[in-house]
Amino acid sequence: MLVSLNWLKEFVDIKIPPYDFGEALTMSGTKVETLTVVSENVINIFTGKITKIEAHPNADKLIVCTVDMGTEERVIVTAAKNVFVGAIVPVAVDGAVIANGTKIGTNDFRGLLSYGMFCSIEELGMNTDLFAKEIIEGILILPENTPLGMDARELLWLDDVIIDVELTANRSDCQSIIGIAREASATLDLPLAAFATYTAAESCNQIADYLTVKIEDPACPRYVAKMLKVKKIAASPLWMQVKLLNSGVRPINNIVDVTNYVMLELGQPLHAFDYDSLQSQEIVVKTTAAKKMITLDDKERDIDETMLMITNGQAPVAIAGVMGGQNSEITEKTTLIVLESANFNKSSVRLTAKQLGLRTEASSRFEKGVDPELAGIAALRATHLLLEIGACEVIEGLIDVYPRVEALKKVSLDINWFNAFVGISLTIDEIANMLTRLFFTVEKISDHVLDVSVPSYRLDIELKEDLAEEVTRIFGYDMIPGTIMGGETMVGGKTPVQKFQDALKNILVGQGYYETLTSSFTSEKRLLGLNSQLEDNLIPLINPLGEENSIMRNTLIGHQLEVISLNYNRKNPFAQFFELSNTYRKNTKPGELPIEEQKLAISSYGSADYFELKGVVELLLEQSGIKYPEFIAGGSDFLHPGRKAEIFVAGTKLGEIGEIHPLVVKNYELPKRCYVCQLSFEALFDCASLDHKFTDLPKFPASNRDLAILLKATIPAAAVATIIRNNGGDILESIELFDVYTGAQIPADYKSLAYALNFRHHERTLNDNDINPVIDQILGALKESFDAQLRE
Amino acid sequence: MELELKQLRDRCLADLKAVCELKTLDNVRIKYLGKKGELTIALKGMGKLSSEERPIIGKLANEIREEIEDNISTQKQSLEQQEIEAQIREESIDVSLPGKKHQAGNLHPLTTTINELKEIFLGMGFSIAEGPEIEWAKYNFDYLNVPHDHSARDLQDTFYYEDDIVLRTQTSPVQVRVMQEQKPPLRIISPGRVYRSDEIDATHSPVFHQMEGLVIDKGITMSDLKGTLDLFAKKLFGEQTKTKFRPHQFYFTEPSAEMDVTCFKCGGVGCKVCSNTGWIEILGCGMVHPNVLQFCGIDPEQYSGFAFGMGLDRITMIKYGINDLRLLFENDLRFLAQFK
Repeated sequence: MLVSLNWLKEFVDIKIPPYDFGEALTMSGTKVETLTVVSENVINIFTGKITKIEAHPNADKLIVCTVDMGTEERVIVTAAKNVFVGAIVPVAVDGAVIANGTKIGTNDFRGLLSYGMFCSIEELGMNTDLFAKEIIEGILILPENTPLGMDARELLWLDDVIIDVELTANRSDCQSIIGIAREASATLDLPLAAFATYTAAESCNQIADYLTVKIEDPACPRYVAKMLKVKKIAASPLWMQVKLLNSGVRPINNIVDVTNYVMLELGQPLHAFDYDSLQSQEIVVKTTAAKKMITLDDKERDIDETMLMITNGQAPVAIAGVMGGQNSEITEKTTLIVLESANFNKSSVRLTAKQLGLRTEASSRFEKGVDPELAGIAALRATHLLLEIGACEVIEGLIDVYPRVEALKKVSLDINWFNAFVGISLTIDEIANMLTRLFFTVEKISDHVLDVSVPSYRLDIELKEDLAEEVTRIFGYDMIPGTIMGGETMVGGKTPVQKFQDALKNILVGQGYYETLTSSFTSEKRLLGLNSQLEDNLIPLINPLGEENSIMRNTLIGHQLEVISLNYNRKNPFAQFFELSNTYRKNTKPGELPIEEQKLAISSYGSADYFELKGVVELLLEQSGIKYPEFIAGGSDFLHPGRKAEIFVAGTKLGEIGEIHPLVVKNYELPKRCYVCQLSFEALFDCASLDHKFTDLPKFPASNRDLAILLKATIPAAAVATIIRNNGGDILESIELFDVYTGAQIPADYKSLAYALNFRHHERTLNDNDINPVIDQILGALKESFDAQLRE
Repeated sequence: MELELKQLRDRCLADLKAVCELKTLDNVRIKYLGKKGELTIALKGMGKLSSEERPIIGKLANEIREEIEDNISTQKQSLEQQEIEAQIREESIDVSLPGKKHQAGNLHPLTTTINELKEIFLGMGFSIAEGPEIEWAKYNFDYLNVPHDHSARDLQDTFYYEDDIVLRTQTSPVQVRVMQEQKPPLRIISPGRVYRSDEIDATHSPVFHQMEGLVIDKGITMSDLKGTLDLFAKKLFGEQTKTKFRPHQFYFTEPSAEMDVTCFKCGGVGCKVCSNTGWIEILGCGMVHPNVLQFCGIDPEQYSGFAFGMGLDRITMIKYGINDLRLLFENDLRFLAQFK
């Protein structure tokens, strides 16, 4: 919200520099984002009245103006087309600087000297967005009654500081000059000036002859109407226009400007209807069956029966709290106006504005909540201003439909609780004083308890904690000491799961893998690219950001492939990645949240092969204390049918590993060979055995035997190892496959697997009599299972 | 005989001198001292000597033997020395040639940041709590005291899976779960993934990360909140860091604050990183709202506590000077590899 410091100063006598004021406001809870001088550069521009215009003897396009500057006359040569005799204009005199920093001096224009320059809106540094095109293009013509020789900085508030404040959602009462002024008053401990309202004693209720108001919907807690006769619809006075401009609002005419002025000043949105266009003597606030309506901005809006409308009893004339209707707009012909100062329920306005896609200054204020008490005050403030600027005459009487007046809230504050809660020690009087500065009414009911009455506009104050914040922010958060927590000592620390996660990541990092961070979203298309049917356990979103992101991922594979694709396409020749992250799927149990399962994905391209990746996975498993994992051919359809395996430990499936299927390579624009592995973190953790126990070092030597086994090439080596292990008895310590041979020396379709077997007994040295029977047993079993034989 | 022996000795010493390899040194030993060596044979002939001559010649023979052995030993040492020197000469390498490549990867910078934050709070006795990302709307909003008509609940701000199930918009629902499931005293942090319906750009992403913190105990004060978070800031950004607490508003805390830290780049004088303010906004915090405590079955008259939350992506970007949030999610190796 933009706040004019000059306007604020009409309420609070702020003497400290703007920057310090901004800091003080920020520290008491009204965050100041920026402080901007309207027109930093401009100097030496004064008002002057054109008294004579003559043609330039040497140039068709130039004219020569004589200008009355109040105390002197000055000749200005200009090409401007919109100036005329009698016009009062801003004149940049010798030594002036205009908004863009250009210095103005005396210049020769085709043989005639010009002692300065007339200025446009832009040259004055004013916001060109707030003026009509024809005004921006010409010289700024000031109102007829503008004093001559006056400094434009002062007249047009070019030296005003515009404060951009960020308001928190709970402080709807701050959406106005008066709201910020109250904060400034409390923060700086300075008095707050009053403002004038229409207070004339009225002898009759003339308004009743014109209008009645009915509220038929609880979404309108109060409706105040005042009627006025229009004297003349014209521009509003310059002082009013300037305040609107410095608040970012475009001046329109005296009536509309007053409604905007009061909204900016007090925070109450107002609306003025053309009485005759209402074509009715009543205003009814209700929902209607109407489907269309043209609003003030000449746009046709689709309305419906959920939206609260201001009607003339039949048809809507305004969308309550959002925007007026074109059918009851103030025009030059308007003679009677109905000034609406009403209160509307915040959700009602919010939903209507959202549905219409129409947010206005009014709706954004109502959405945050407006104090119903303000409606009456604002109507009288606007009436006062309309009379003061000579725009209207009053029609006596006021309509005020206010079915339920809320009593002021009271909250009691125990100062002992307060001091203990905040960790400071203020006296009851200090606390009472700070609350009073914030316009709370405070009553001391004991030596440590205050009864606090909350002003009607403080919709945010309900509890003692709310008051604690009020006192603390005025006292100053920076005045609270920082202490170290007392209470019970707490051990804290990581759980075994959290430690295991860290360990897995560290192993992979050590092996040259880079951790990735990818989004949780996927889509049907992305999933179908993985060469498989969509699973029926997916979690689609009701309101995704586009189809691409419409489903919660149930696998990390797609994202790993996208990362590979991106890197490959960016000419990174090889890379290895991993991610430990959640996947999501439906929960078949009704009434429970979807299942979130952590998976570990590992991928590589460009340098490694299947066995390289498998080696890393085996290392991970070994480091997790997992013995004898089984890699069994098979797995998902995104993997190469001849190069994929599912990983099991003691019958539990941990995941799968393999090369990416050539079709998927195409779908994801991947390099030719990519390898991935995906493991279930939960299964991995369940199988892991992370406790280390010491066993005595062997006292007796091991005996080694090498066996070369000849068997059909199709038999998986893992199966052979299992047979060897299962038949090795207690003395078989370890086996290692050290050679795989296929070729001329052995029959086609056969392979030779060479194993190193390590035997050891922990109580004695083994001899052939111990080992030979075991070897025979192994060979026998291999023969039986695979028709394998010892290679001679 | 004596002459014979002396000649033998001279021959042997000459032979030894001529040896220039360890292998042939032994040949000399065998030639003279071996079982069939010249000296051995010569000594066998001592039997023929007279009893007067025998001790004299015997002594001489022993002296010669010792002399030869000494010479062999000296020669051996010298040859070994030469051999080692030769080996060393041969085996010299250009130590300035590059080492064999070992690839190490690294953690994502976001993880590194999270780890750093975890360490700080673990050191203060906190535990790490986790909660679901797909969460009941009531945990994400209602129990956190967010008004029923608040715009944060709108479809345009929050992702919905079902009418009452959302992608959590903050890590704060973990607070609620911890308070409902455990008894005070509580000290937890909860880093995690959160979601809001923002199109991705340099500073926004529909998927981002937050870390929540919660402390509940008897007698926890606002000055404890300040002390704890000030200590955190000093540990994260350096001891010289100052903090500033500004009043703010959150539905689940009262009083509430935002914490700024002095810009670690310029130390508070103002620079590009801190938009010339000298301060960087780091987190939101406050005393846990009594309504929230009540929703979670904790008596606000007995217990108090504070909570805080911070954007981890933002802190990561600030810490490393990353200028575009999208880089964090893109995973270009040339980006990732910068954080070894």
